[in-house]
Amino acid sequence: MILLGKIGLALAGTAVAGMGILFSEGTVVVNVTERQPESHHVYVIAPAMLVPVAVHFAPKDQLAHASKQMRPYLSAIRAAIGQLRECDDLTLVEVKEPGNHVLIKKGGGSLIVDVDDEGETVHISTPLRAISSAIEEIAAVTPSDES
Amino acid sequence: MRKTIRAGVAMCLFAMATAAMATTPERYLHVRVEDQSKGESVSVNLPLSMAEKILPTVNHGNLHQGRVTMTHGEIEGVDLHAILDALRSAADGEFVTVKQTDQDVRVAKSNGNLVVHVRDSQKEGQKVDITVPLKVVDALFSTAKQDELDILAAIRALGEAGETILVTVEDATEHVRIWVDSRADQGK
Repeated sequence: MILLGKIGLALAGTAVAGMGILFSEGTVVVNVTERQPESHHVYVIAPAMLVPVAVHFAPKDQLAHASKQMRPYLSAIRAAIGQLRECDDLTLVEVKEPGNHVLIKKGGGSLIVDVDDEGETVHISTPLRAISSAIEEIAAVTPSDES
Repeated sequence: MRKTIRAGVAMCLFAMATAAMATTPERYLHVRVEDQSKGESVSVNLPLSMAEKILPTVNHGNLHQGRVTMTHGEIEGVDLHAILDALRSAADGEFVTVKQTDQDVRVAKSNGNLVVHVRDSQKEGQKVDITVPLKVVDALFSTAKQDELDILAAIRALGEAGETILVTVEDATEHVRIWVDSRADQGK
């Protein structure tokens, strides 16, 4: 009985530690609410650590075109992300129009995009570290991978 | 013993003062465009340090290594460096005043700033005020090449120039403001 308890404790501990590692890089949150023409709600919360892993295992021929397009701006993107990680939380861009509101900001180590218009509300929050890792994964795809 | 304590306190104060002087606060470039007739507004906030890091990495078109190459047609026959030298050595005062029936233009030097005022009665009473610290203008033209503008050096100079309103454009419905300060947000 004691042995079973110990095994159970070890399994629970491993699960908690695993979850801790999995969520150590924060979470990606996608929240989309469509109001028109039909009401839909999509809410996804995923460990940010999975983003570069998913990109790594994505079909290379699909990523090669994106990689080629991104390459000329790679150093600028790296510099921007590096500086964003260092700077304080701030609103980068805010656009307000009647019926539309777009907000791009840095908050708590994440890049947050909020779009609110008559048809839908979109909230995307992605840790900058995950964006950086994903970009490096895409950049690592060589043009020879393009089919 | 007292002397030792006093010396220690003095050294601590000196170290703190030096650290405070050495730490330049982050400066932010803010842009705000408001159109009251359409109920639209756009706000952009950019840390100058970010612009400083990104700019040298962009090599596209006329922009390379943080410098912009002007096409010859734009500056042909104009010695920009000579104009700048003259401006730098001149005393504060108005250099150019153009008065027309529907437009007034004034260019002046004031307190180390290059100041441009434009009043246009035709465009719904549009008012344009541009204030650029001369140090920024100096940095802009600091390259050896006549046809180059050093945007990167100008941004650095702007960060060192302190809080300043660079551009305001106002007419009956639109309001544009570009300024630099040490606040991350634009305030209310």
